[in-house]
Amino acid sequence: MTTASKTGPAPPLVLTPYLFLLPAMLVTLAVVLWPVAETVWMSLHNFILFKPRNVPFIGLGNFWRLLNDEVFWLSLGHSLVWISLVVSLQFALGLVTALLLNQSFWWRSLARSLVIIPWALPSVIIGLTWTWMYDFNVGVLNDVFVRFGLIDKPVAWLAQPTSAFLSIVVALIWQGFPFFAVTILAGLQTISAELCEAADIDGATRFQRLRFITLPAIADVIATALLLRTIWVANSLDVILVMTGGGPGYSTYTLPLYAFLKAYSGMEFGYGSALAIMLTLLLLLVVFVYVRRAAKELDQ
Amino acid sequence: MKRRHFIQAAGATALSAPLMAPMVNTAKAQAATVRWWYHFDNPQNTPNELIAQFEKENPGIKIQAESIPWGGGGDYYNRLFAAIVAKNAPDCAMVKLSSQAQLLEMDALEPLDGHIKNWAGKADISDNIWSVNKAQDGKQYYLPLQYVVLYLYYRADWLQAAGLQPPKTYEEFLAAAKAMTKGDVSGFGMRGGGGGHDNWAPFVVGNGATFAKGGMVGEQALAGNRFYVSLARDHKVTPASAAADGFRQIVDGFKAERTGMIIHHIGSANELVAALGDKVSATPVPRPANGKGWTMFGDESNAVLSGSKNKDAAFKWISFLSGSTNNVAFNKLTGQLPVTTSGASSWTLHPKRFVDASAASLPLAGVLPDSPKTADFARTVWPTSMQRALLGQITPDEMMKTIEAHYNG
Repeated sequence: MTTASKTGPAPPLVLTPYLFLLPAMLVTLAVVLWPVAETVWMSLHNFILFKPRNVPFIGLGNFWRLLNDEVFWLSLGHSLVWISLVVSLQFALGLVTALLLNQSFWWRSLARSLVIIPWALPSVIIGLTWTWMYDFNVGVLNDVFVRFGLIDKPVAWLAQPTSAFLSIVVALIWQGFPFFAVTILAGLQTISAELCEAADIDGATRFQRLRFITLPAIADVIATALLLRTIWVANSLDVILVMTGGGPGYSTYTLPLYAFLKAYSGMEFGYGSALAIMLTLLLLLVVFVYVRRAAKELDQ
Repeated sequence: MKRRHFIQAAGATALSAPLMAPMVNTAKAQAATVRWWYHFDNPQNTPNELIAQFEKENPGIKIQAESIPWGGGGDYYNRLFAAIVAKNAPDCAMVKLSSQAQLLEMDALEPLDGHIKNWAGKADISDNIWSVNKAQDGKQYYLPLQYVVLYLYYRADWLQAAGLQPPKTYEEFLAAAKAMTKGDVSGFGMRGGGGGHDNWAPFVVGNGATFAKGGMVGEQALAGNRFYVSLARDHKVTPASAAADGFRQIVDGFKAERTGMIIHHIGSANELVAALGDKVSATPVPRPANGKGWTMFGDESNAVLSGSKNKDAAFKWISFLSGSTNNVAFNKLTGQLPVTTSGASSWTLHPKRFVDASAASLPLAGVLPDSPKTADFARTVWPTSMQRALLGQITPDEMMKTIEAHYNG
C-alpha cells in the first residue's frame, strides 16, 4: 500500500515555479557560471592569446608563480590600502552629505539631484576629467592652488608614487560618495520623527541624537552599503587605468588592474585568470557576509 | 513539355553543372561583403567617400568598414586577437609591424606575394618600404598604407635667441635643452608614459643597443640609457611630470610653451603650427658622434586575414586604398604620409619643413623587432621600468636588464 493511499491523493508535481525560474537560471549559467568555469580552466593552463595552438595544462603552476611574484604582493597591498581609504572616506562624505540633504531648505530637491551627478557619470569620463584637472602644465588644480598661494609652483600630481595614489583616491571618493549619500538619505527618511522629538525634549545634543538614535536606526542600511561598495571598489580598475595605467612604475597597481594588464597587455590569459581567481577568493569573504545579511533581512 | 524533352533538359543541366560552377563562384565572389577594421586618430573622419568610390568601381563588392577604438594599440589588438580566436575576424584590417609576429604565430595572416606581383600599383611604392614591411620568413603579408617617421620638433625662435643650431648630436641636444630650461619652461618634453619607448629609442638603440641577446646590456646601450634618464634626474631639463606624461601631455606642454623640444611625427605638425606658427620647426632626432643613429619608422599597413572567405575581394579593397590618388585621400583622413612615390611628390597637407624632416629621417628609420614580445614591451615593460628609473626606484642599468630579460631572458 502506498503512502498516497494512506493520506489521500499525492499532490501533483508542481513544475510551474521551476519553469518560471528556468530562463533566469539559463541566463545565469550562460553569463556567470560558464565564464567562471572558463576562467578556472584558463588559470590551469599556460594560455597566451596569440599562441592558441599551444596551450599546455600546468595545473597550479600559475598560482605558484603568483605567490612568488613581487608585483602580485605589491598590488595586493595597494588594493587593501585602496579599499580601506576609498570606502571609508566615501562613507564619511556620504554620511555628512545625507545628513545635510535631510535638513529642510528651499533648494533641497535641486541639491539632491545635483549630488547624483558624479555617480551617474561614466568612469572613463571621470578618469579623463580628473587627469586634466591634475595636469602639470594646463591643469586647473595647479592653477588655482598657485593663485591662492597654497603651492609655490605646479605639482606633478600623477608623476610621484604617493601623490599619484592619493590623487586617484580623491577622484574615486568624488565618484562614489553619492551612492552612500543617497542610500543613507533613504535610511534617514525612515526614522520616526517622534523619536527625534522625544530626544530633543529629553535635552539630547545633536551629537547624542546622531550617536544614539540616527546611526543605530540606519545601521543595517550602512552595513549593506559598505559591503556592496567594498566589493565594487575592490573590483574597479577603470579610473586607475585611465588616470595612470598603474604608474608611475607600479605605484598605482591594484590586483584587478594587474590581472587586467597581464591578460590584455601581456596577452597572458592563463596568468591573468589566476590573478582574477585570487581576487575572487579574497572577495568571497565579503560576499559571504553580504549574502548572509541579505538572507537575514529576507527572513525578517 | 514532353517527358523525353524534360529528361533531356534535366540531363543537360546536370552535365553542365560542373561547367557552371566557376561562373557561380565568380558571381559569389562578385557579391562579396568585405569586413574591414580600421582606426583613425580623429574619429570624426570617415572613409565613406573612398568606400562609395570603390563600390562604384567594383559593383558587387560591399565594404563593411568597422571603426575600432585604438586605445594606444592595446584596445585594437585585443579585439583583433580575440576575434581571430573566436573565428569572427574581419576579412582585412589595418595592422602595424609590431604585431606581425603575433599574428603570424596565430596563423592569422594571408601571404600577399601572389596578389602583389600582379598588382599595377606595386612600382609606385618604394623598395625601402616594401623591404621594411617584409616578414622574417621573407613573405609579404602587409600591404603598406601610410607611414610616419619620428623626428625632433623644436622651438626655432628660442634656439635662435640662444645662438644655437638645431641639435644634431646628443651633446648638442643636451646643450639646447639646458639653454631652453628656464623658470617654468623645460628644454625637453620627455614622454615617460605609454608610447614613450619611441622617444627613448633614438638615444639608446641609436647609440648601439639592439634587441638581440645581450644587446640591451652592452656598454653603448647602457651609456645611451644612462644619458636619457639623466636628462630628467641629473640635468633636470624635463618637466617634473615626465614620468607620467603621454602623447597628449607632451603635445599640450609644447603648445602651451612649457617645453622647447619634443619627439613625435608629422601627425602633430598641423596642430603645433596652428598654436605656434613659424616658431616651431623640425629636424631629425639627435645622433651619436658616429652619426649613425636610429629613429622609429611608424608604419601602418593593411593585411588580409587567413580566415577570410573573400580574400580576392579583400585584396581588391586594400590595394585600392594603397593606390596613388586613393592613398593620398586616405592619408588626408589620417594625417600621416602616403606610401606612394607619386602621392608623396604632390603632398600638400603639411608644411614643407615637416615633410622634409620626415624625408631626412628616413635613412635612420627602423622598426622594433618582429617579435611576439614587442607589443608587451611597448605597452607595459618599457613604461613601467622607465618610470621606475625616472623615480630612482631602480638604476638605469637595472632598467636595461629588465628589457633584456623580457626579450632574451
